Formats: sequence, structure tokens, C-alpha cells
Amino acid sequence: MASTHDLTWKVAPHLDRHLVFPLLEFLQERQLYNDEEILKAKIELLSETNMVDYAMDIHKSLYHTDQVPQEMIDRRVEVVARLKSLEESAAPLISFLQNAALVQELRPDKQYNIQMLNERYQIGADQIEALYQYAKFQFECGNYSGAADYLYQYRALCTNPERSLSALWGKLAAEVLMQNWDIALEELNRLKEIIDSKNFASPLTQLQNRIWLMHWSLFIFFNHENGRNGIIDLFFHDRYLNAIQTNAHHLLRYLATAVVVNKRRRNVLKDLIKVIQQEQYCYKDPITEFLECLYVNYDFEGAQTKLCECEQVILNDPFLGKRVEEGNFVTVPLRDEFLENARLFIFETYCRIHQCIDISTLAEKMNMSYDEAERFIVNLVRSSKLDAKIDSVSGTLVMSTNHINVHEQIIESLKNLNMRTYMLAKNIVEPAQAAAQASAAAR
Amino acid sequence: MASRFWADTESEEEEEEITQSDDEGSEESATAPSGWVNKAKSYLKGAASDSDDSDTQGRTVKSTRERRNEEMLSTLEQIRNATKINDWVNIVDCFDKLNKQLEKVSRINDSNKVPTTYIKALVLLEDFLAETFANKEAKKKMSSSNAKALNSMKQKLKKNNKQYEELITNYRANPVDDEESESEDEEEPDMSDDGVDDVIEYPSDEDREKDGEDEDDEGERKGDWVKSQSKKDKQMDKQFMKDPSEITWEDVDKKFKDIIAARGKKGTGRVEQVEQLTFLTRVAKTPAQKLEILFSVISAQFDVNPSLLGHMPVGMWKRCVANMLLVLDTLNQYPNIVVDDTVDMDEKETKKGVDHKGPIRVWGNLVAFLERLDSEFFKSLQCTDPYTKDYIERLRDEPLFMVVAQNVQDYLERIGDFKSAAKVALRRIELVYYKPQEVYDAMCKLAEQNTGEEGDLEGEVQELSRGPPEFVKIPEIVPRKPTFPESSRDLMDVLVSLVYKYGDERTKARAMLCDIYHHAIFDEYPVARDLLLMSHLQDGIQLMDIASQILFNRAMAQLGLCAFRAGLINEAHGCLTELYQSGRVKELLAQGVSQSRYHEKTPEQEKLERRRQMPYHMHINLELLEATHLICAMLIEVPGMASPAYDRRKPVNKTFRRLLEISERQAFMGPPENVRDHVMAATRALTRGDYQKCFDTIAKLDTWKLLRNKDQVLDMLKTKIKEEALRTYLLTYSTCYESLSLDQLTSMFDLPEGRLHSLVSKMIMLEELHASWDQPTRCVVFHNVEQTRLHGLLFQMADKLSVLVESNERAYEASTGGTLEGLPRRRGENQETGVGGGPQGRWQENFVASQGRGRFGYSGRVGGTGGGYQKGTRGGFGSSRYQDAAQGGRVGGRTGSRGGQVDGAPRMVNLNRGIRA
Repeated sequence: MASTHDLTWKVAPHLDRHLVFPLLEFLQERQLYNDEEILKAKIELLSETNMVDYAMDIHKSLYHTDQVPQEMIDRRVEVVARLKSLEESAAPLISFLQNAALVQELRPDKQYNIQMLNERYQIGADQIEALYQYAKFQFECGNYSGAADYLYQYRALCTNPERSLSALWGKLAAEVLMQNWDIALEELNRLKEIIDSKNFASPLTQLQNRIWLMHWSLFIFFNHENGRNGIIDLFFHDRYLNAIQTNAHHLLRYLATAVVVNKRRRNVLKDLIKVIQQEQYCYKDPITEFLECLYVNYDFEGAQTKLCECEQVILNDPFLGKRVEEGNFVTVPLRDEFLENARLFIFETYCRIHQCIDISTLAEKMNMSYDEAERFIVNLVRSSKLDAKIDSVSGTLVMSTNHINVHEQIIESLKNLNMRTYMLAKNIVEPAQAAAQASAAAR
Repeated sequence: MASRFWADTESEEEEEEITQSDDEGSEESATAPSGWVNKAKSYLKGAASDSDDSDTQGRTVKSTRERRNEEMLSTLEQIRNATKINDWVNIVDCFDKLNKQLEKVSRINDSNKVPTTYIKALVLLEDFLAETFANKEAKKKMSSSNAKALNSMKQKLKKNNKQYEELITNYRANPVDDEESESEDEEEPDMSDDGVDDVIEYPSDEDREKDGEDEDDEGERKGDWVKSQSKKDKQMDKQFMKDPSEITWEDVDKKFKDIIAARGKKGTGRVEQVEQLTFLTRVAKTPAQKLEILFSVISAQFDVNPSLLGHMPVGMWKRCVANMLLVLDTLNQYPNIVVDDTVDMDEKETKKGVDHKGPIRVWGNLVAFLERLDSEFFKSLQCTDPYTKDYIERLRDEPLFMVVAQNVQDYLERIGDFKSAAKVALRRIELVYYKPQEVYDAMCKLAEQNTGEEGDLEGEVQELSRGPPEFVKIPEIVPRKPTFPESSRDLMDVLVSLVYKYGDERTKARAMLCDIYHHAIFDEYPVARDLLLMSHLQDGIQLMDIASQILFNRAMAQLGLCAFRAGLINEAHGCLTELYQSGRVKELLAQGVSQSRYHEKTPEQEKLERRRQMPYHMHINLELLEATHLICAMLIEVPGMASPAYDRRKPVNKTFRRLLEISERQAFMGPPENVRDHVMAATRALTRGDYQKCFDTIAKLDTWKLLRNKDQVLDMLKTKIKEEALRTYLLTYSTCYESLSLDQLTSMFDLPEGRLHSLVSKMIMLEELHASWDQPTRCVVFHNVEQTRLHGLLFQMADKLSVLVESNERAYEASTGGTLEGLPRRRGENQETGVGGGPQGRWQENFVASQGRGRFGYSGRVGGTGGGYQKGTRGGFGSSRYQDAAQGGRVGGRTGSRGGQVDGAPRMVNLNRGIRA
């Protein structure tokens, strides 16, 4: 079953309703599940939002009728009515905010702004509150850009930290849905700071907030160009790692993928493997198992089979399997990168423990043809990443073993000491000298 | 029955003893016999029937036995005479004689049962010895031979008594009859109040008689009770024998106040007070009054046993349980009655009758009563010899307590007092947590069956307090049968979550520990581990009370066993090694008193320690624990010892190394006897690479039969042994081979090829083995890294130098308080040199943060990269400490590390410290 490793059902509870849509769309596209099931899920999803028209459309396509249930029609009327009333109550403030000249008068000082609005334009706390509600309503209706704007302005005026936090969440969701990754990343960082610094009522709430944040960030990190560093930074942060281990084990998949793909962050691999091992009793999927096979058991055959499964997993994952169309080709860039890096991993590890390797076996292990493998190796040797030679007659790769000379080892271990002692001496002497000079000067 | 004689003498002796021990008691000594005779007779009856059952040659056996017994008695008499004239030489002789006689007696009896006479003699001697030592003047006056004999006697007795320790304590707590008060009196002369009380416990003959019978023979009670009522009782009867309707609330209240006022005064018998109060409960006018009196009855029942060491008589305990149930019935019947112990009650509060609408307050504390009930149960188990039937009988009472606890908890939850409910829940948890599913099922079944017996008990209670019909009738409302969910896990989950929600810190911590223990029993290692690490219990356990520390140690031991069963050798080792570091594992687990050669404990310490002991049925099998620990140590240490000298790592388990050295020093090797011998023999085999012999030796241990999945565990063990044998072999002989083929290795060690490949690869990766695979020929090629002795020494020097530099830096930091800037981070280095870098290092650093090496780097590592374990917040346990440490980045790591150093003292709990404090 292709859907065995699908995580949507685990991820979805931590997301906003609207954020689940892209996931469902993706699943529909991949045809992992019945179309009907997905459509039903969509209606279910929409039932709590205000996107009634959309729900009606789906309903029609699902049951192939033009009839819509009465409750939907009722709901539509209700929604429209509420929209009207909210529009009215928020109108003064909105009209104020739409006037660029008037907005100029606002200052960074919130208290001043509120007072000013209150005195000169009769805009009080009620109107500001209405703005928030209106923005929320807009968001519910699917008007994300409008919601984002209003929420931005609301934040400038809001004094209640709780409200401000939820406004920020709303803004983030809106930006994600509009796919403004840069802005979304900014919002994400802002939110992270607030979550880390805020005193939550209970540690549990804070944990929950962190987990939400991590889930939401998946959208950004796998789309933003610098996201792969971002995800490693965020997820490997102690507290976030704790959160993953506590309540969101499935996020390990994304972390593992990010680490494999990211060439420059090999240093975290060791830590990642420890975490994976610790949590293997409650979460495993092909990607984590691949790493485990390779780095814990040195089981290359196992790694090989897992790698094949990994490919499927990546293709079927809404976050990882993003497609890019180039001309006539549809590629999944992440898959290609992952496979390339994974191959490199296998190859590196294999070379480290061997002194002589049959190239055909190697090719098999890396899922390549003989020629491909040879080319691959030659490239590596040429770029002097690999200290080895190919014995073309017997078709083997011979590693040149190099042992660090004992003398070198000793010197290496002592070199460091020299520097450290020097630093220590300097640290002791300098203040003393400075003090001596100071006293001399004083005299 | 000729044994009548024995019985008589025995009782006389009993009397004499009393006269000796306290002078005031002399007046009563003349007139006690009836009770004693009865008891002694029944004891003999029991003994005789034992032998009669089994063999036909009863007659002859009996006579020899009697002769022996008589001999013994006469020796005892001699000893007693000698004590009177302080003739120690004679005493020593008699003592030797007594021991010889004991041998004979036990030979005849064909059993290990030690005659009471003998124990009595021991007790007598012990007491007299103590007395003599206390009396310094007399000691000085003694002749030299006498003094010498005295000293030798002291030695002998100490040695001798150790084997009969339990019997002696039993005897002291329970000298044939139930009159523990006397013996307690001797034991604890410092409790002056109680001393006075005890002397006057039996003010009149009738009372005494009544008392004796009371404990003695339940069946006779019915007939004798009226006869033996004390004068006071009779008076009371007279007063209340009037038409019940004539008795007013005031009358009862006045009488009640009188009785309460007499509590603890001279001339008040404790048992008698209970009786009086019980009587009053029947004539109480209002439910509230009845409740008030019932509470007093319960307290009076608790008062019956004044000593801390002894326990409440079992019968009394049961009656107390019944009273508690009655209280609960009342409370359920009249929900407007509120039990409270914080506010001063209004005098007339209990006068409010049934029809009173508002709340009626009654003084009392259900939770305190329940906790007392529990601890009495616990104590009675502590004091009972676990190999006797009594113990099992006593264990059967457990459901009885469960009923009360469950009902109290229900009641408290109903009135919304969740804090107290959590306390009660903890008590229930502590009765369940150590039970594997089988035992739990058995308990459920027992509870099912028990109802019949309980009915008897109720009837008994009814009969006991015959008198006028009860004025306030309370129907049985609360269930008399405990209800248990199918699996103990369910029960634990319910209780534990209640405690987590409402309990205070200590309750929560204890519940958590019980939870961990329970998970460990059920082979859920990861869950138990996560619970332990998330709750940060290791950090604060040293600040907690000793009982909790013991619980912590027990949980750790069980966690270790669990890890071992799951095949996680390193983790198991991490859990268990600290328990064995000090060599006082018995003390740490409170499963017996361990004697230390170097410092003697004061009697007080010993007494305290004895009070902490776990009852036998809760013990963790020590042999299994030791076997597990040593096998883990073996599997870790043997390859370590085989690695070449220049990169030999520090021994992980010093205890094991020491044991190994001792066993290697022996000139002759006998066949293994105990657990340690077995493991040592196995170790020798493993060092040679002989995995089969190693496994056979270990499989011979008979503690394995205690494991539920014995075969599985042994299979696991076999694989582990093979693997370690392979590693040992490779490390030892790598210098002698140029190459080894994979096939050869698989056949040598009988391991699957894939596994072998992975093992060797791992060793290559970790640079334990300087070798690499040659893929086309499928063999391992060794690179001989030559290293001369000079090189080795140089490496050592480099190590030492780096230690020097590090301590310099630390000194600098300590003096300036700042950190050195611009230094390379040492964290990475330590990671390289740390314990193999494998997953095991992780575990240890978190668990055994006390290990000397690289404390600095270790905690730095925790601060920086780690934290995987410190999960913060599941289950609501905050983890501010850790978060703080992580906050400051590098600096924070440093300060954190210093904190780590401070509490780097052995994590495992030191009990003595607690005692001194």
C-alpha cells in the first residue's frame, strides 16, 4: 500500500483547517486514497469554515447532483449576515486604515495610537476588536490576503498579548496559504521568539505551541530556498527536539530528510541517529530506518531496500514530494537530491570499512548500473574526495589505506594543549599587566 | 499429655521474666496463669499433631523429644540461676550445652524449627547481657575469669543470634502469647510514658482474664464475655441498661467525654477502652454522635499497640477495618455530615439529629486513619516470618484493606476532596505496583472468595459488642468487596492519573516511581525509561525521604532487570551498577540488614533500618539482580580488557574488575557455587573466546527459573555472549593475523553472516579494530599498527597533560568566575574520547552523571547537544532546571556543568546520610 507511510492523519490535527487543504489536494493528485473519501474529508473540513460556496461545489461533484443540503444553504445565509454585521462594526477603523495619509499619523507607541484614535476618530477598543473578528472572518472565508493585511494592522493596535499571539498565528497561516514564503518565514521567527519567551500557564501549553509551530513551519521550510538550514536549526533546538520526542515523533521524518539532503550539516547526523534510535520503539519509517541500517547496523543490503521505499515515501509526502515542472518534465527535486545524497552516504560508509571493493557489487548497492557507478567513482576520485584507485582489469576499487602516523597523532593531541596553555597564560598575565600599568599611571 | 508439665513451667518462667524486667509488675504476676496455659497448650497441641500426622512410630519419638525438651528446659533453668548470681563462666558452659541440645532436638524433629525454649534462652541471655553491660560498676567488680567469660559470651551470642534473628524478634514481638506489651517494654525502656501505661495495663484480675481470652480463643468469647466484664463495664451497663429511650444525648456525651479523658492516663486499659467505646457506639443517639464515637474507637484501636516496632494485633486490625466501613456507611447514609479536622467543633454539634438539615461537622480525618491502617498492615507483614503460614494468612487480608481504601477514595472524590483522594490513591498504588499480572489475578480471585469470610468477621463484630440493640442503625451501603479492573495496568493508570492531577509533590513522585516500577515489570522498557527521565526524579531523589529513596532504588533495579530482559545490556548495566558500587545492595533495597565490617551501627540505626524493611513478598530477588548485574558487566568489560594496551579504556565497572581480580588470585579454582562464582567462571571462558562454555556456565544458574520468558532471555544472552566473544577474539588476536575470512568467523562463532559483518564493520568504524574488509575475497584484512611501548607512554603523557591543562583552566575559571574566551570548544573532543560514541555513552551520561571522568565535558554535552532525554513536559512535570541550563548557550553549559559537579556525588541513594540527618 502506498498509503502505509502517509502521515497526513498525524500531521493534520496540528494544523489549521485551511492548512490541511493543500495536503488533501496533494493526496488527491497522488491518488493515494479514493477520490470520494478525500472529497468527503474536504466537506468535513469546510463545515467549520465559512467557505460555504466551495463546500457546495464539492458536494455537487461528490454526489453528482445539483442539489445542496438545506443546512449548507442556511449556513450560507448566516455567514453572509455575519459578514455584513462585522463589516459594519469594523468599518470606521478600516476606512481609517485605508487612508494612507491618516495612517501616517500612527506612531510606534501603541498607547498613543489608541488614545489618538479614540479622541480624534472615535475609534475605541470595540472597533479594534471588531477588526480582529473581521480579519478572522475573512480568513475563514478564504480571503487570505485581506485577512493578512487586517491582522497586520490589528497587531499594531492590539494591547492584549493573547490576542496578539493568535493574530500572529493567523497572519502566519494566511501568508503560508498565499505562499509568500519570505514573509511567512519572518512571521515564523517572530512567533518562535514569542513562544520561547512567553510565560505560558503550563509547560504543556508551551509544548503544544511548539509542536504547532513545527508543523506549520514544514510548509515554509520545504518551499523556502533557505528552508533546509532553517528546519535543522529549528528542530535541533533542544526544546524543539524535546517536543518532537515527546509528542510529535513523526516529525523525525522531515528532520531526517532535511539532514540527508543538506550537505553542509553532516555534523548533526550523529545526534539525529541517537534520537532515531531512542524513539524507534514508537516511530519508524523507511527514511529513519535507512539511516539506522546504514549507521547503526552497517547493513548495506537493508539500507538498499529501505532506500527504494524511501523514494516512494518522498513521492507520496505532501511536504517532500513537491513537483516542479520544467518544460515537459515533471521532477521532484527533493527526491533526486535525497537519492543522490543517500547514495553518497552508502558509498562513503562502504569505502570507509573496505580496502577493496568490487565495482559491480557497489553499483548494485547504490542502485546504479556498472558504468554509472564507475563514472560516479571516477568523478569522486578526480575531485579528490576519494583516495582510491580503480583496478579496471579485475573491476575493483582499491582504497589506499592511510594510517595516521603515531607521531602525528601525538603531535596532534599536544598541539591543542599548547594553544590552550598559551591562552590561559595570556588571560592571567594581561589583566595583571593592565592593573600594573593602571597603577603606574595613577602614580 | 505429659506436655502439660512443660506448659506449666513455661508459663511460670514467663512470669519470672516479667518480675525481673519490671518490679512494679510483681503484684500482677501471681494470678495470670489461665491465659498462658491455654495458649501454651494449644501451641503444644499444634506441635504434637504435626508429628502424629506424619509417622506411626509416634510414641517413641514423642518420648525422646520430650526428654530433649526437658533437658533443654533444665539448662535454661541453670542459665537463669546463673544469671541471678552473675556467674558468667557457668552461663557460657550452659550456653554451649544448650547449643548441643538444640542440635539433638532438631535432629529428632527432622525439621528446622527451633524450639521456643531455645529462643527464650537466647532472649534471656541477650537481655541479661545488655543489662550487665549497662551496669558498669558490677562489671568492674567482676573477677577476671568472669569478665573474660562475659566477653566471650557476648561474641558468641552475637554470632549465634544472627541466625535466629527473625525468630527472636518474633518472639520479642510476640512471646508465645499476644502480650507484646511486656517485651516491648523491655526493648524500649526509653519510652517512659508507655512504660507506665504498660505496667498498669491490667489493673484487675478480671480484666486480665478477659484480655487473655479475648486474644486467645474467639469461639469462647461469646460465653465468657459477660462474665468477664470489668466492673466499670458493668457499671456502664447498669447505667445504660435502662430503657434505651431514657438515655439522652447528654448521658452518652458525658460518658464519652469521661472515657476520652481517661485516655493515656494511669489505670486505663487500652483494650478496655476500646470495648467501652464500642459499647457507646450502640447507644449513641444521633448518627453524628455515633460517628464521633466511632472515630474515637478507631483511634483507641490504634492506641492498643504503643510501640513503633510492633504492630497492632491482627484481630484488632480487622475490627478496625470493620469500623472504618461502618464510618463510611454512616457518611454515605447521611451526606450532610462533614468530616473535618481543621476547625474546632461546637460542643453540641453532634446533638443535631437525623432531621437536621444543614451540615453537621464531626471531627476526624479519614485519610489519616486509612494511612495508619495501611502502615499497621505493612508493619505486621514486616514482623511476621515470611516462611510461616501466618504470613500468608496476613497477606490474605490485603483485599480487606483495598475495600476500605477504595471506599474512602470514592467518598472523598464524591465530596470533591481530590487532594486527599490522591493520597488514598497512592496507598492503593503502593499495594498494586509490584504485582505482576499473575499475582494481580490471584489477588482479584482472592477478593472474590473473601466475601464469605468477611461476613464472618462482621458477625463477630456484632457478637462482640452484644448489648442493648443499636440505637442508630446503619445499613451496609458501601460495597464490601473490592472491584478490580481486568489488568493491573488499567488500575494503575486510573490511580496514577488521579495522583498526577491532584497529588502533592511527594505523592506524585512516589506514584511516578511506582508507575515506573510497574511498567518495568511489564517489560515496557521505553515507557518506563521515558517516565523516569522526564520526571527528573534522579535529580531530586536525594532530597527526598528515605522510604522514597528506597522506592527509587527498587524502581531502578527493576528497570535494570527489564532492560536486561529486553537485551539492552548497556542500559541494564547503567541502571544496576550504582546499586552494586557500594556493596550494600541489601540496605539500598531494604531487603535485609547488611553488616558492614568497618563501622558498627548503633542500635538506633539498626532499629530504624529494620523498620524500613520491605515485607518479603515485595522483595526483588537479589540473586537474579546480582546475576544480571555481573553478566552485564562481563559482557561490557571482557572485550574492553582484551583491547590492546595503548587504547585501553578505563574500566566501566570497577566492582566487576575487583571481583575478577580476587577470583584470579585464588590458587585453586573450585567448581562454581554461588552467582558470583558462576559469572567469574563464565568470564574466564569468555576471555578465552569459548562462548559455549561461558553460556553453559551461566545457563546453569538456577535464578533463571524466576523469569517468565526464560528461554527467550537465554537465547538473547547466548547471542550476546557470542557477539562479545567475537569481539574479544578479534581484539585479542588481531595482531597475530594478517587476514580472517568471513566464513571462518561465522563458523567459529556460529553467528549469522549479516550480523557478523555488521559487528565487524562497527568495530572498524569506531576504530576499535584497525582493519578493513576486502570485498572480493570476503575477508577482514588487519592493518598492523605498530606501536612501541614508548608510543604508548607518550599517549599516556599526552592524556595526563590534557588533564593538567584542563584542571588549570578550571582553577582559573573558579577563581575569576568567568570563562576563558577564544578557546577551542572542548565539547567535540570529549565526544570523541567519550564512551565509544555509541548509544551507550548517552545513557550513561544521563544516568550515572557521577562518574569521575570528564564530568565537565559530559554535562557540557548534555547542555549543548543532548537533551534528548530531558523531555520536559509530558505528564505535567515541569523541567525548568534543564531549560535554564540550556538557555545561556555555552556559558550556561558551563555553569550547568559546575552544578553537575556539585551533585556529582553518587546518585544512588545513601541511606546512612539520611539517618544521621
